[in-house]
Amino acid sequence: MSLRQSMAGLHTWGGLLPSWLLFVIFFAGSIACFDKELERWMRPALHEPSSHGMTVDQVRDAMLAKAPDAHAIWIRPPSEREPFYWAGYEPADESAFVRFALDPVTGEPMPETVGGLFFFTLHYDLNAGMVGMYIVAIAAMLMLVALISGIIIHRRIFKDFFTLRPDANGQRAWLDAHNLFGVVGLPFHLLIAYTGLAIFVVFYMPAGIQRAYDGDAEEFFHDVMGAYSREDVKQPAPPPMSLDRLVADAQRRWGGKETGWISVHHPADAAAVVDIRRYDRSGIVDFQWTFSYDAATGELLHEQKPYSPGYQSYAWLTNLHMAQFGGQIVRALYLLLGLMGCAMLVAGLQVWLRKREARGGYGIGLVRALNGAVVGGLPVASLGLLYGNRLLPAGIAERASAETWVFVGVWLLVAGWAVLRRNSGKVARDVLVVVAVLALGLPLLNALLTPQGSLLATLARGDWDMAGIDLVLLASGVLCGLFAWRRSQPQVAKAPRVRRRLAEENA
Amino acid sequence: MSKAKTSSRRDVTARVLAAILGGYALAYAATAFLSVYLPLVRSDRVVFASLSCFAVYTLAILYAFAARSALQAWLVLIGATVLMALAAYLPGDFGVRP
Repeated sequence: MSLRQSMAGLHTWGGLLPSWLLFVIFFAGSIACFDKELERWMRPALHEPSSHGMTVDQVRDAMLAKAPDAHAIWIRPPSEREPFYWAGYEPADESAFVRFALDPVTGEPMPETVGGLFFFTLHYDLNAGMVGMYIVAIAAMLMLVALISGIIIHRRIFKDFFTLRPDANGQRAWLDAHNLFGVVGLPFHLLIAYTGLAIFVVFYMPAGIQRAYDGDAEEFFHDVMGAYSREDVKQPAPPPMSLDRLVADAQRRWGGKETGWISVHHPADAAAVVDIRRYDRSGIVDFQWTFSYDAATGELLHEQKPYSPGYQSYAWLTNLHMAQFGGQIVRALYLLLGLMGCAMLVAGLQVWLRKREARGGYGIGLVRALNGAVVGGLPVASLGLLYGNRLLPAGIAERASAETWVFVGVWLLVAGWAVLRRNSGKVARDVLVVVAVLALGLPLLNALLTPQGSLLATLARGDWDMAGIDLVLLASGVLCGLFAWRRSQPQVAKAPRVRRRLAEENA
Repeated sequence: MSKAKTSSRRDVTARVLAAILGGYALAYAATAFLSVYLPLVRSDRVVFASLSCFAVYTLAILYAFAARSALQAWLVLIGATVLMALAAYLPGDFGVRP
């Protein structure tokens, strides 16, 4: 068995098994490029630009009123993409962080929503915590393997790049599409798989810290990041210094840029420490230049040095993945390349199916069912989530989890439909029709329920971040409608042609 | 389909296991090895060694399927793992050098 043959087998099976998982990860990750814009869309209070009259001190007092014995409180002042205060606290027992998005007008927490963060979490841990993170990592490893074995199989990479035969038989046309999307996206896919794994490398590969630091992760992070911390002394704190004054001082020291997260550790203790971080998107890496102050006296305790070369490289890799540099152009590019990755996966699944439909084989029904359930179900469920966001009443308890249940419920519905009708050949058309109807209806619903966020209103005030979401929804609705219409046309049977056999076909 | 293509279920299972388990063992040993021997300060050694582990793992998986036989794949992966682990873990004071 030659190298290319063995790699073809690895590519076929190593690629097929994680395909549906990777589709979810790619799709959610692509949407998560615009998580902050979606967050605004999902919070009607933020649709109209408003001046936020709150000071950092007021936000701190509000957090301390909620949790007087908090281990730490965190405050994120408004920024260009997030025109509102994020705030929250770590409870005294250091359990899960409790976070609030504050209404810029009233200063009260806004109605709960999963927000754009939902897709971000779905992307990196499938909303399943640590277990999900490891599942995603396995999928990413298999993606790396599929990419490298794909390169080895694909010796005619440049010739095939210019080949697209949409009128050829099904398998050939899908293979062309798979190659086209795979080759165009290849540098991006390699980058995104590798850097995605790199982000959580300390969870996946502890060998380095275990060997060189005797497993002491804290010491390691102290070495690479140079963060400052001070133990509490179990004595009540004197009245604290104004945070606004400390922020002004920090901004003066680093030369007046945006402020990132502000934290106060053990605020009720005499040894309370205020950390103020700079927020800087001028380069790929932001080392979050941090000043640490004594909370009571305002004395500067520590200034963070730039990252060590190793951590600087790590941050560069992970920030390439996160696309927080270069503005909306870079994010739009990542979104398109991510969707291209989805297209490559779908085309690859179709190659697998068509080949086995032609010569018979096992597993066809299962692959068809999963295709409909995942590839069809996820986009419909995502649209369902946005409907839920607008239609669920603002005041209900556990509103965020209600939204999640809408997402899960819609997905299960589509999945059930896809499994039952897997051999009808009509699932794809049905899903396309549903996506078209839902996507076209959503801007309408948005205009009816939240007039200040309607497409006409956002276009009129030149709010392209908000208008963009409605425009993309309309465009995808039209596109899916066209595809659905095309699929429902009667297919013309084509005479089989004699072709050269490709190595890929032997896989 | 050619004859050479049909490989026994046992062979495939052995290769899959070599790829997943042997590959991770090799990546683990390589990370430990590099975090001891790279010519950098300690924290940077750990970062760069850890970042390279996914490349090692990927190549090991590819090798497990490219090797002439499953037995050879196992022997090479185990051999390389043992060599690097010995070099990384035997000299006690190297790991904590600055």
